[in-house]
Amino acid sequence: MTGASSLAAPVVAQVTAIEASLLAFVVLTALATALARDVLAAVIVFGAYSLGMAALYTFYRAPDVALTEAAISAGVTTVLLLLTLAKTTRIDHDAVFESVNLPAVGAVGVLFGGLLLTMGDIPAVGSPEAPVWSNPDVSQWYLSESYAQTGVENTVMAVLAAFRGFDTFGEAVVVLAGGIAALIVLHREVFA
Amino acid sequence: MSDARPDDEGGGGDSDAPGVEAAESAAEAESDVPAHRARSRSGRIDSEQRQGTPYTESQVIMPTVKIVAPFAFTYGLFITFHGSGSPGGGFQGGAIMAAVVFMIAFAFGIEATRDWLANTVVVGLAVGGALAFAGIGLIPVARGGAFLQYDLLPVPVKYGLESVEIFGIAAIVSGVLMGLFFLLARGFDSDGSGFGDTGSVDDAGDDAASDLDAPETSDRTAAADGGER
Repeated sequence: MTGASSLAAPVVAQVTAIEASLLAFVVLTALATALARDVLAAVIVFGAYSLGMAALYTFYRAPDVALTEAAISAGVTTVLLLLTLAKTTRIDHDAVFESVNLPAVGAVGVLFGGLLLTMGDIPAVGSPEAPVWSNPDVSQWYLSESYAQTGVENTVMAVLAAFRGFDTFGEAVVVLAGGIAALIVLHREVFA
Repeated sequence: MSDARPDDEGGGGDSDAPGVEAAESAAEAESDVPAHRARSRSGRIDSEQRQGTPYTESQVIMPTVKIVAPFAFTYGLFITFHGSGSPGGGFQGGAIMAAVVFMIAFAFGIEATRDWLANTVVVGLAVGGALAFAGIGLIPVARGGAFLQYDLLPVPVKYGLESVEIFGIAAIVSGVLMGLFFLLARGFDSDGSGFGDTGSVDDAGDDAASDLDAPETSDRTAAADGGER
């Protein structure tokens, strides 16, 4: 929900054919990532999964999240994983898929069933009564006040850089610290 | 198949000579590759051993990247600079700009890109971004306000936010991502004495280590092994 123009409550939308096919694509690529025997195949399918998620986020009107997913997960992470694979040896496999571990499937199934039980209490997609949208103290306050207080149309950026600016500063320093930690772990003193 | 670092292969050949000999002597201990082979077949095998990642000089990828890179970089700048009015911001824009560097590295060779993009640039972006973010946050403190209290900045609040996104977050993210990319491309120095780009000594250590490891990993593919050992 970005921009001052989205202040009107969203309508409850049915799942369109495009969204349904995107959902199916995401589930299939996620399963393929988990089951692929070849690591290179898993990495590439994982990139496709991230791209599907990015497209899905745009359909659910979260373009900021979609951009981040596309740039970081589909782009940068895939490249870094491929680069790591290029540094290692690649094992030839006869089987396409990993053999399935039945106890793991059971554990995941139990967790999945438990999560399914909570689905009834989750509001419909785009519902105007959804607490995340109708909450007058948080969401609506940011949506109505962010432009007045910061002059920025993108509420997400107003929250990140202004209202939660100190958190963002901490996150930025964490990114820098991550880079330095990678230097230390790899016994290097220079990046490039 | 040609090397990504013409100057390193040709011009740096003299300085690298002791290192290569050390690697060859280590290789001879394990396998009977003639001493001249490792050098003369340098087109592929040597470049893989030396830069760790295979590089293919593709006539399709290079022109494509030449055309796409300016547009992708402009898109990254757009995402960064227009984060206040449209989706995106410094994080996404910085990631896209770093991805442009990845793209160039894949087309023209990681080591060539590493030489082109100095370490100073990467470190300057990452550390300078953090300092810029902290500095912008501390200006209001110096004026008697709170950290990042934008209305005490000498510019409108909107431009305060944008300066944090552009000079702070975008710089940190692009710098650290580029640094991670080059770090991963160089890999882990197994003997633990790695001090960055100290050229021949490190290369010799890496080559010797990889040659010693080669017979133990029986499941190496023929491509990774060069089909030789």
